[in-house]
Amino acid sequence: MRLTRSLVALAVLAALALPTGCAGASDTDGTDGAAGGEPYLIGAVVSLTGTYAGLGVPEKQAIELEVARVNEGGGINGRPVEVLFEDDATDAAKAQAATVRLIEEGVIAVIGATGTGQTMAMRTDLERAGIPQISMAGGSVVTAEFSEWVFQTPWPNRVVVPFVLDRMAEAGYTEIGIISDTGGYGVDGRDIILASAATPGVTIVADEAFNPGDTDMTGQLTGIRGANPDAILMWAAGKEAAIIAKNMRQLNMEQPLFGGPGIARAEFIEGAGDAGEGVKLAAGKILVPDSYGEGTEPYTVASSFIERYTEAYGTAPDIFAGHAYDAFGLLADALGRIEGEATPEAVRDALEATTGWVGVGGTFSYAPDDHNGLSADDIVLYVIDDGTWRLDQ
Amino acid sequence: MGSAELLQYVIAGLKSGAIYALVALGFTLVYGSTGVINFAQGEFFMLGGMLSVFFYQMDLPLPVAGAAGVACTALIGVAFERIALRPRRDSGPLVLIIITIGGSMVLKSLARHAFGPNEATLPEFTAGPSLDFAGAAIERQTLWVWGLTLVAVLALTWLYRKTRFGRSMQACSLSHDAARLMGIDTARVVMVSFGLAAALGALAGLAVTPLTQTSWDVGAGAGLKGFAAAILGGLGNPVAAVAGGLLLGLLESLSIAFVSSTYKDAISLVVLLLVLFFRPQGLFGRARKEKV
Amino acid sequence: MSARASQIGVRALLTVVALVALAAPLLSGDRYLLKVLVFVGLNVIVIAGLALLFGYAGQISLGHAGFVGIGAYGSAYLVGSVGVPWLVGVAAATALAATGGLLLALPSLRLKGHYLAMATLGFNEIMYVVFREARAITGGNDGLGGIPFPEVAGFSIDTPAGVYLLVWGVTLVVVLLVANIVRGRPGRTMRALHGTEIGTLACGVDVVRLKVRVFALSAALAGLSGALYAHAVGFVSPATFSLEHSVAMVAIVVVGGTGSLAGPLLAAIGLTLLPYADALIPGLSKETVALMQDWEADIYGIAMIAVIVFAPAGIGGLLKRWRRVPGGGEAA
Repeated sequence: MRLTRSLVALAVLAALALPTGCAGASDTDGTDGAAGGEPYLIGAVVSLTGTYAGLGVPEKQAIELEVARVNEGGGINGRPVEVLFEDDATDAAKAQAATVRLIEEGVIAVIGATGTGQTMAMRTDLERAGIPQISMAGGSVVTAEFSEWVFQTPWPNRVVVPFVLDRMAEAGYTEIGIISDTGGYGVDGRDIILASAATPGVTIVADEAFNPGDTDMTGQLTGIRGANPDAILMWAAGKEAAIIAKNMRQLNMEQPLFGGPGIARAEFIEGAGDAGEGVKLAAGKILVPDSYGEGTEPYTVASSFIERYTEAYGTAPDIFAGHAYDAFGLLADALGRIEGEATPEAVRDALEATTGWVGVGGTFSYAPDDHNGLSADDIVLYVIDDGTWRLDQ
Repeated sequence: MGSAELLQYVIAGLKSGAIYALVALGFTLVYGSTGVINFAQGEFFMLGGMLSVFFYQMDLPLPVAGAAGVACTALIGVAFERIALRPRRDSGPLVLIIITIGGSMVLKSLARHAFGPNEATLPEFTAGPSLDFAGAAIERQTLWVWGLTLVAVLALTWLYRKTRFGRSMQACSLSHDAARLMGIDTARVVMVSFGLAAALGALAGLAVTPLTQTSWDVGAGAGLKGFAAAILGGLGNPVAAVAGGLLLGLLESLSIAFVSSTYKDAISLVVLLLVLFFRPQGLFGRARKEKV
Repeated sequence: MSARASQIGVRALLTVVALVALAAPLLSGDRYLLKVLVFVGLNVIVIAGLALLFGYAGQISLGHAGFVGIGAYGSAYLVGSVGVPWLVGVAAATALAATGGLLLALPSLRLKGHYLAMATLGFNEIMYVVFREARAITGGNDGLGGIPFPEVAGFSIDTPAGVYLLVWGVTLVVVLLVANIVRGRPGRTMRALHGTEIGTLACGVDVVRLKVRVFALSAALAGLSGALYAHAVGFVSPATFSLEHSVAMVAIVVVGGTGSLAGPLLAAIGLTLLPYADALIPGLSKETVALMQDWEADIYGIAMIAVIVFAPAGIGGLLKRWRRVPGGGEAA
């Protein structure tokens, strides 16, 4: 009978699929090159689609660039490096599934994820498997909820916020209004602002929040305006930041606006337009390479990366590409230092022993209680001038 | 709180309220002629902004780009009605709702593929500083928003009351079958309703882009607010839709002032639920008796 | 072949499929595949409930992801933070979701069609705000991690195979339960309700009570699925329970077809597997998988519209048409 036949066929297919179902073909990178021998297998979970695609794509490009360079130069310890990319589509569940898959493939370390939520989602499986993770997400929680297996390359809020507050106090802005978003990054930033404002002598006179996806912050800014602050500090990473700058202009608010690395994006300048002029933000030195100090090693490293990235992809690398460059570079450096078999645990130990490794986000030194490796020396204050970033003197 | 500050909140509320009103008008239009809630209305709002940006980036002058964006969206609305809804127009409203839900998923996702994931903006229609009004600031673009909303409402009212087509639309909203029996081309009424609703949503999206930027995913939020406004005022009545929109905008703005800035979305949702549960015909609508 | 024989054939076949499903961990040690199949099973549980509510009783809900979230966060918090035993935590979370369903259903089910849709949509959005703001319980936007493994009678179920068996064990029980409801009196009443609510009322059926019960049951199943999800995956965040997921669930039931249970379940299996197709088809390239993931929402939306326009009875309708054809067409 037609029905039974078709259903039997289906069942047989299903039964066959199960035993043969193994992980699909991997997207490999950098296996061509002068290096030979068993490759080091590294996993990478990035957001290539979804909300964070604008951050994840530069990250992948930066890693691919570096992998090719390393392999063409003979690899590490004579062995090539292979990075298996997975797209988490800016979804925590997919990040987790991707992580399990990578663990199955036998990776010895995982770079990822692009976003804080996805990074946290990967942690449980990686900890259980005993595999080190290097995150490119900026939420403090990644290293505040400390795990011996998790490392982080961006400057965490607990480093950047005091830096910005210091600079604001130096400029004489001692009564400030703050506005932050309710996403992980914004909440984290606000908590640290409130906790550390007193140290440089700054008082918070207004404290407003908005949700990611909000399109109009004039309400919140009206409240802040009413408190008469000297300046406004904004902690957000998304399109809402540009709207805040515009709203301030619309409300005829004259106070200067300060922000963090979250707004170190070309989209902020484009979106804010004229309202972006004069906005000050703290971020890494890659935006204006001169800030590394001409002739210094960090300057050379950054310039080389900027040059190669621009040549390969047609645009200059942003801070997110920088975070990815650092993540892979730290791994490569750690692998090079391992004596004996490169087990995940050996990789972790080597990572933790990193001292003075020069990246583009800064110079990294990890320790058993510090998996961030950066300090306030790695950040500078920029001012947006004539549609681009300039160092604020 | 000073009077200038309060006035600022009121202005902000009326600004977003006007946007909600335009989107709500779209809901009301479609509901009036088809009895269907068009879940894709929010995506028409999004397309208005995104398509205008697309044309503007092709170096067309801003008014032309905006008009093209709105017109394109109207065409998409019409196409959607013809392709997806017309084949099933005699099925119950449940089926049609499902189709519009599917449509909204597709439109939103196609927009991401076509325009990318990043946000985009347009310059203000007339450049210049904000105007001062009794201590509060009004952006020039806000005046545009109010002006366009007023024009849209007037045009719709004229359409309904003074044109034959408008009367056909009213007939359809009372009873499809009776209208057909009277010789009205109900299919055309439905099609034009969709086109108009899409145009209204698109106009809102276009007008607000210089203020708030646009991106592929702004549709769901705008649609939800617009629907809440339509329900608050009362479905089926354009003036009620506008009133609902302005009221909702004010409610939100004042809740930022007096309650909490992050719960403002929840407040409009709670209002929506309360109206649905206790007065589904809206503030200005009449309770409809259901005939068996 | 006679109808009776075909019925036995179908039953035997389904038993075979069930046994194969349960034996999967023995046939394949691939942890990734097992994890993907766990997601499939969890979705089947929710869809079974939603098929009852929407497919049979004709009540639309755009808020079921909210109930999944209640179950997930509820169990995660009770077992993880409070330290309640696992079985109690899951049961309590399921009950919590059922109660939520009851509370939402009572005022909402008086509403018709689009009003009900909007009320449930509003519920989903409100739950999303709650999940984001109640940081003490839910961890806020960053999500809640470190959720403990399931633990039954002192044994911790911490291997992919173990979790798979647990989830699919529950899935099969749920499917049997729902199938029984469908075949029995409640199912017939629901179909009558869907066909004509007035008529059903006129027959003396307490329509309101039925609708509320079905809603609460479907909410409970969604909550159960959420609770199991939380412990299987170990991490939940508000984004997992957004409106888009509710809409996707409705899309699955639509594609599966109303008035059918097998249809929506097959649709659930197929559509859940879609973004993870490389787990089943070994040779599939990464680019193809990434492409499918990127176009997932489009596929759902287009499938939904296409089904309604061209094959309104969905997959279930196709299955029924097959079954009605006697003797393979050779003899009339």
